[in-house]
Amino acid sequence: MSNIRESQSAPRQLAMVLDLNKCLGCQTCTVACKKLWNKDSGSDYAYWNSVETLPGRGYPAEWQETGGRDSEGAVKRGEIPDIDTAYGRAWNFNHKKTFDSAGKPGAQKEWLRPDSNPKWGANWDEDRGAGEYPGNNHYFYLPRLCNHCTHPACLDACPRKSIYKREEDGIVLVDQDRCHGYRFCVEACPYKKVYFDYERQVANKCIFCLPRIEEGVPMACARQCPGRLRFVGYRDDPEGPIWKLVDKWKVALPLHPEYGLAPNVFYVPPMSPPQLDARGRPTGEPRIPLTYLESLFGDSVGGALETLVAEREKRKQGRPSELMDLLIAYDWNQSFALGPKDAEVSLE
Amino acid sequence: MKKTLDLIAAPTGMQPGDYVPRVYSDRDGPQTPSVSLEVEHSTRGWRFHVRWPCPKPVQDTGGQSNLFPDAVALVAPSVPEAQWVTMGAPGLAIGGFLWRADREPLIRMRAEGFGTVQRSEAENVRQVTSEWNGGEWSLAFEVAGWKELDETRRLAIAVWRGSARERAGLKSVSPGWIEVGT
Repeated sequence: MSNIRESQSAPRQLAMVLDLNKCLGCQTCTVACKKLWNKDSGSDYAYWNSVETLPGRGYPAEWQETGGRDSEGAVKRGEIPDIDTAYGRAWNFNHKKTFDSAGKPGAQKEWLRPDSNPKWGANWDEDRGAGEYPGNNHYFYLPRLCNHCTHPACLDACPRKSIYKREEDGIVLVDQDRCHGYRFCVEACPYKKVYFDYERQVANKCIFCLPRIEEGVPMACARQCPGRLRFVGYRDDPEGPIWKLVDKWKVALPLHPEYGLAPNVFYVPPMSPPQLDARGRPTGEPRIPLTYLESLFGDSVGGALETLVAEREKRKQGRPSELMDLLIAYDWNQSFALGPKDAEVSLE
Repeated sequence: MKKTLDLIAAPTGMQPGDYVPRVYSDRDGPQTPSVSLEVEHSTRGWRFHVRWPCPKPVQDTGGQSNLFPDAVALVAPSVPEAQWVTMGAPGLAIGGFLWRADREPLIRMRAEGFGTVQRSEAENVRQVTSEWNGGEWSLAFEVAGWKELDETRRLAIAVWRGSARERAGLKSVSPGWIEVGT
């Protein structure tokens, strides 16, 4: 990859694994992130963390259609999504009108609805999925955030060198004092996880909750997840969950590895129940087509699913499985390996 | 001084980083082919009147993620050796003023090479008027004190066409410094 800047490598890399078999699509992660970091009016449309339903158009709509690196490692030209048609503009509801109409006998009932005419949103195609009921209908949730890539396209694209990777943990950050809002980063990131604050005229993005990380506390999205599907740690820590899931068990895979950015957010792919034939009998074919999962997670997804099924069978038979015990996350403390364990705020 | 200047597309191959030079290498010719520049110097300072063609103005970028405003910059070298096409160099600064169609007031600029532009609030700028009419922008303003121009008497101009998503090094520029006389 001769076209990748030398300055972007980091000695240590913080990473995250998300088990898609446990995601409920509840958006607690989305809200935890949004409330903590991203309430400014200029980025009201922007969700550093979002959860989309797949198969679907995603957020922003059609984000998977452009970008990444070419075979020589050069970043390809991307698009800057439109707020109205791709991200979706934030809206309010007509709560007052609805409330007032309910209190007036004989008045025409005002139903709760958006006070504008939104065309798209961060969770617009929730639970739609694909296939035909009852034979092969299917969907799953894909939580997405900045991948803090080893070879970030956003970093390469910035002519002002406003984007950098931290030496100590590989977190990719925007220096907003340097940023002039040119948006080449937004354009180049194929995951579309760099946003533009149109009030402050600067780029912004997920910071992997670095103030929390520096105190040994996991990211808000990971810590608040009711399903305990997120694992956090360093890539090179053989005692931590990341190394075990990515390198030892090889069940956690990067999203769109063909983009060539070496993302550091990994996904345990979703298993799915079998399709049904015309008489309602299981066919043995998974509802989520393997080819679709391969289009997201690469060629290794079949092997990862086989490992997951085999280990699940072992556990069902009462035999030990390090992998299943880790993924079940009986003790949430085991999901995070960040250093000082005593840094978490104690109620005692 | 009153001149009509032919502009060129700023060479994308010289832009900093790997991305812009490569993915925008297909740009051929300036989006804004020419500009009319009028410069007067008096005891009050410098007065400028700039006019340039713009068929589809972009004045309001509020609340949008993918709009870029029309803009113009006038810059001057701090020393005669400072190059325009590279935005100066370390120790060879250029300085000037940036007008954006979507905001007021003007912005003071200073740079010592590609990717080093620093912006600050412009002082000593008065009588700023801008108007788009009939496919043309007209911008006039006065500067009471402009150190670089006072000393070198040279100017260069850059025009960004917002409708073509021009920003940063994607711009139409004068081919070199323009002597403004005494």
